Amino acid sequence: MLILQVLINGILLGGLYGIMAMGMSLIYGVMRIVNITHGALIMLGAYITFWTFTLWGWDPFLSLPVTILLLFLYGYLLQRFILNLIVRAQMYLTLLITFGIEVVMVNLARILWSSDLRQVTPSYTAANFSVAGLTIPYVRLWVFVTTIMLSVLFLLLLERTRLGRAIRATAEELRAARLTGIPVGHVYAVTFGLGAALAGAAGAMWGMLFPMTPIMGRPLTLKSFVVAVLGGLGTMMGPIVGGVALGLAESFTSTFIGPTYPNAISFGLLVLILIFRPTGVLGRRER
Amino acid sequence: MKRHGSRGRWMALAVVALFLTATTAWSADTIVLGTAISQTGQYAREGKFYVDAYQITVDAINKAGGIKVAGKTYNLELKMYDDQSDPNLSARLFTRLVTSDKINLLLGPYSSGITIPASSVSEKYEVPMIQGGGASGQIFSRGYKYIFGTLPKAEFYFQSVVEAAVKMDPPVKTAALLYSNEAFDRSVGEGTRQWLKEQKVEKVYDEEYQPATQDFTSILAVIKSKNPDLILLAGHEENTLNFIRQAQASDVSPKMWVFTVGPPTGDFRKTLGKAAEYVCGVTPWLENMEIGGEVFRSAREFGKQFKERFGYEADYHVASGAADVLAYKFAIEKANSLDPKKVRDALASLDVETLYGRVKFDETGQIAMGQVLIQIQDGKLVPVYAAGKFVGKPMYPMPKWSQRK
Repeated sequence: MLILQVLINGILLGGLYGIMAMGMSLIYGVMRIVNITHGALIMLGAYITFWTFTLWGWDPFLSLPVTILLLFLYGYLLQRFILNLIVRAQMYLTLLITFGIEVVMVNLARILWSSDLRQVTPSYTAANFSVAGLTIPYVRLWVFVTTIMLSVLFLLLLERTRLGRAIRATAEELRAARLTGIPVGHVYAVTFGLGAALAGAAGAMWGMLFPMTPIMGRPLTLKSFVVAVLGGLGTMMGPIVGGVALGLAESFTSTFIGPTYPNAISFGLLVLILIFRPTGVLGRRER
Repeated sequence: MKRHGSRGRWMALAVVALFLTATTAWSADTIVLGTAISQTGQYAREGKFYVDAYQITVDAINKAGGIKVAGKTYNLELKMYDDQSDPNLSARLFTRLVTSDKINLLLGPYSSGITIPASSVSEKYEVPMIQGGGASGQIFSRGYKYIFGTLPKAEFYFQSVVEAAVKMDPPVKTAALLYSNEAFDRSVGEGTRQWLKEQKVEKVYDEEYQPATQDFTSILAVIKSKNPDLILLAGHEENTLNFIRQAQASDVSPKMWVFTVGPPTGDFRKTLGKAAEYVCGVTPWLENMEIGGEVFRSAREFGKQFKERFGYEADYHVASGAADVLAYKFAIEKANSLDPKKVRDALASLDVETLYGRVKFDETGQIAMGQVLIQIQDGKLVPVYAAGKFVGKPMYPMPKWSQRK
């Protein structure tokens, strides 16, 4: 029974890890930017949810589209007017700039909203139901379902739309994409916007489960990176696989080895993957 | 020409400014208390309690006439850096305070992990440091002469709790112990193991966890399967919040649960809302305890002034920080000197009543003080058990989540 409970806990949390890493994987896949701002975008998503809930009483699930839209716009502008200037420069420059933006965002958040712990607590926060001795919290279940819905929508967008084809074309062969008339600057900005929107959605849902502070994003950047690499950096379904794998690894380690070990195990897993399958579980060898 | 003129004016201004700062440095009779404390990073939240506590106490002492040494009156002044919650940076900043800023005496940082290296700096340069933010035994077990602490020993945090638990009706028989693997919480864990053994409470779960842990659901699943009467958790406020909220979602409710950090702060109750009911905590200090001394006549008066100025309620961190500054006032006046060695000796034999309680250090430098078991009842903090007896009525056993209003 305990094993089953731990399994469910791991999968439910893994979905959230998955969507958290999806934006990071997309941005890396298309532009080869390791986005250090990622965690700060998650933080922003969480705070938007917190404020719309606290000031206007919006349900956190219903405010999700607003969060996604705002983060998309923010991400679009960030790429269009700042990151596009250096997107083809060496990796360390993009690292440095995204790191700089992260520092500015986190400190602005600290000044505006203080370092106090905040929580989004709708009336159903702690509601749960029991099936055959297992306890399942509603919020976690809804978060998981929303995560899956969002990732399906996102995949459809990439696979079935003109925009999605343009994004994939740009990722695969930049020069050819340019020659066929794809406005690369715009496509990059849309890509970053999508990445930011996914991070924002993840943040909104993170904020429903855990308390938030302006620095909450830092460990999450790292976590997203681990998840993305586990699943295959740059692949589309990889992050979900990586997320669930990490969620399960963490729950089982904490239960059967000890609660101090989840990080050791997940980073150990990362090292193993890098040694034996450097492109991740779903990744393909680069051509 | 015009450009030249304006530059000249700036130069003149700069010279005047330099002169002004220089003269204040010469003429003002100030005692500078130096500290580096977390204003950003992981400990920014608790760090702020000490920043505000130091400030309000320094201002209050100055307003009440400053400190008299050998017939001369001195004002206190704070020299403060931000250690960004980084122990390495902290040690560098304390070195800078002593060697290049030439402060007179040191006030401590927050958290045991940062206090351990910081206290080594004070010991090396033989400048006393009073700190109110680190309680781990590791700070005081190295035979240092210059470190003093106003938080009670970590090992004793849950002593009164376990003692009270076995006197409840029905008595607590089994307990789950969970603590973060940081210096302070480990010491709490070690001590608690002993108290549980002494009171013959069976330990059904005993684990360490990482302080960065957000998700406690798997830990809770194991604890739930062991069904303990009492849950004891030693960790940071964020851990406590996550634990309680997730326990509610996972439907875990023992007869009693106690947390080291969180329950005494007003924010904690606000953030958790109704889920904070029945939660127990420990605190060396409560605003409504009947204590007081010079400068701040009573704990209540201090609490009132603090809330007026900073807009939030003072908790024991704040009172402990205030006691640090006050201890210097008394020690300097007792020593009648600013010599760090003499102030250190005065501290070692200090015995005064303050808003925080009786400040008297044991031979290791840590305050000799017990903990009060408190419980949140109807959104208020109620003292339940102190110094070996019940001082209030506990709400026990805690009702199941489904039976709460």
